[in-house]
Amino acid sequence: MPYAGGYPRHMSDEIRMLPRAYHEAVEHWQRHNFPEYPELSKRWQQYFPKDQEFCLCARIEKGMPTEIQVGDHVGQPKAIAPKELDKEAAEQLLAIIRAQASTEFGSIQQHHGTFDRANDPQDQTWVLRVMAEELRHGYQMIHLLTSADWSSVTDTKPQDMVEEILSMKTGSHVLAAFNLEYDSFGDSIVFAAFIDRVGKYQLTMQKVNAYAPMAASMPPMLREEAFHLAAGVIPMRRWMEAAARDRNATLDVPTIQKMVNKWFCRGLEMFGDERGGQTNVKLGLKDMPNKEAQDKYIAECEKMLDDINIRYVRAKLAHRSRDEADAAFERIRKGDTVDGIRKDDLLRLPDRRFFRRRGEPAFQMVGVNGEQFTDVEEYIAHCLAHLPEAYHASIDTKHWIEMQRKVAKGEIELKAAINSMPRLARVGGACPCSKSVRWVMDVPGGATGGGENLNP
Amino acid sequence: MADLRIRSVTELDIEAICKIDERITGKYRPEVWDDRVIYYIRRDPDSSQVAEVGGKVVGFMLGEVRGGEFGLEEPTGWVEFFGVDPQAREKGVGRSLIEALFTGFKARGAHVARTMVAKTDTDIDAFIRAMGFAPAAVTAFEKRL
Repeated sequence: MPYAGGYPRHMSDEIRMLPRAYHEAVEHWQRHNFPEYPELSKRWQQYFPKDQEFCLCARIEKGMPTEIQVGDHVGQPKAIAPKELDKEAAEQLLAIIRAQASTEFGSIQQHHGTFDRANDPQDQTWVLRVMAEELRHGYQMIHLLTSADWSSVTDTKPQDMVEEILSMKTGSHVLAAFNLEYDSFGDSIVFAAFIDRVGKYQLTMQKVNAYAPMAASMPPMLREEAFHLAAGVIPMRRWMEAAARDRNATLDVPTIQKMVNKWFCRGLEMFGDERGGQTNVKLGLKDMPNKEAQDKYIAECEKMLDDINIRYVRAKLAHRSRDEADAAFERIRKGDTVDGIRKDDLLRLPDRRFFRRRGEPAFQMVGVNGEQFTDVEEYIAHCLAHLPEAYHASIDTKHWIEMQRKVAKGEIELKAAINSMPRLARVGGACPCSKSVRWVMDVPGGATGGGENLNP
Repeated sequence: MADLRIRSVTELDIEAICKIDERITGKYRPEVWDDRVIYYIRRDPDSSQVAEVGGKVVGFMLGEVRGGEFGLEEPTGWVEFFGVDPQAREKGVGRSLIEALFTGFKARGAHVARTMVAKTDTDIDAFIRAMGFAPAAVTAFEKRL
């Protein structure tokens, strides 16, 4: 890394490259799934002047704790090879790494779908950087899979694990949030604000991981993730300011609210079932159970929307002083109408049980404001009214409606409905150019998805 | 201050930083602070810090380690923007912030911290000197264009 002329300095990172075959496989994947990537280096100096150039590599943090920090083995040395972990911990860790890798590559495929539809070059370039850094995070996970011997917990060879990950498409990824296609470029932004924020929590929780290479992979990823969150929040603030100033703004508050409703509930499910997560803590893999992490996430999302809403109120009440605007915001939030601004004009989180398909409140028919529905058709109509119109036509929505009806009528067991995923895309088939990576063979229907269950 | 907490800056601190700036300068400049804070977040989010009291941000300090500027080849911890809510001053907030930055600078290999202060900013000058800074052997030049 050149260290000159104002570049920031990260002394704590050690750079590692994948063996050539895996490195080329990732680059090959990039050419098919992330063709925008070469544009990043062309735009770098305009949008990120003097930032350290992007590097497709694994980064390992130096100076991390060497003793286990949580769980049953606190104080014992951290594992530096999978076989040093308890079998259960190694199995669970392998599942976490595969799921994490799936999310990294999956998000690029989602962003790619609407990348060219961005209406702001800065927003687009920020997303481009986010995509490149997600590629690096996927590379990091492949490094974890291929730089160690996992034969104590799996018969799958490293090259087959990598091929399985690279073969996934939108619809066949491990977590539901990465199987939803974007309706517009706006989803790229709201996704960054809500779903990348879950990523931040997962990475933060895994900083204590009992497997030292996993723990040491987290800080460099977290530093990049910090920008990803900003790539969501800053444009959302701008949208709300524009909505306050211009009644014909391209995105009005109800439209943004529907995008929030779409992604927030999927984000909550990424933490795993609210009743679980203690096993990962016990095994020393994470430092919080699912519900505790989810509660903190919700509080942070509320803070995020407060900040965005304050911008909206300030833009609407530009003639008022800071203290007057703050006081007005507090009154509006409590339900008063101030200068024509009502509570319903601001963004808000839906109830944590709204539109849920995984976890404790799955298919419980709870509305955006926490109201309980008893009639399934009324509930479906309620949800559709609070979700983006373009999303109504998706296979994901269609599948949810079918499951919601079946659960309400007792035609399917709740557990089966929770594990069911729309089969948007099939895993398998040949690489489009048939030159390099082989894609893995097809899997039985319904065998993908539902990975939220891997946080026991 | 009993419940003072120093932590790394995040994208959710920008509005609070705007507010502190507004209390100090009388100007509401969200776009300015969006750009400034994002600059630090995308380069090294752990380097810049905010101070919280009771969960409320009352101060911020933005800076990072760079090298090779102005012929100063050694890694330098640059202290570039900071502010403390007027209501939270004289309570050690600024000192806690700058000490947190120094710790981060040292961890990133810097053995010197540098900053620049306008001659008219006498309060900032006094604070910086109280934090152990001394005039450097460099001269700031400018030319109006």
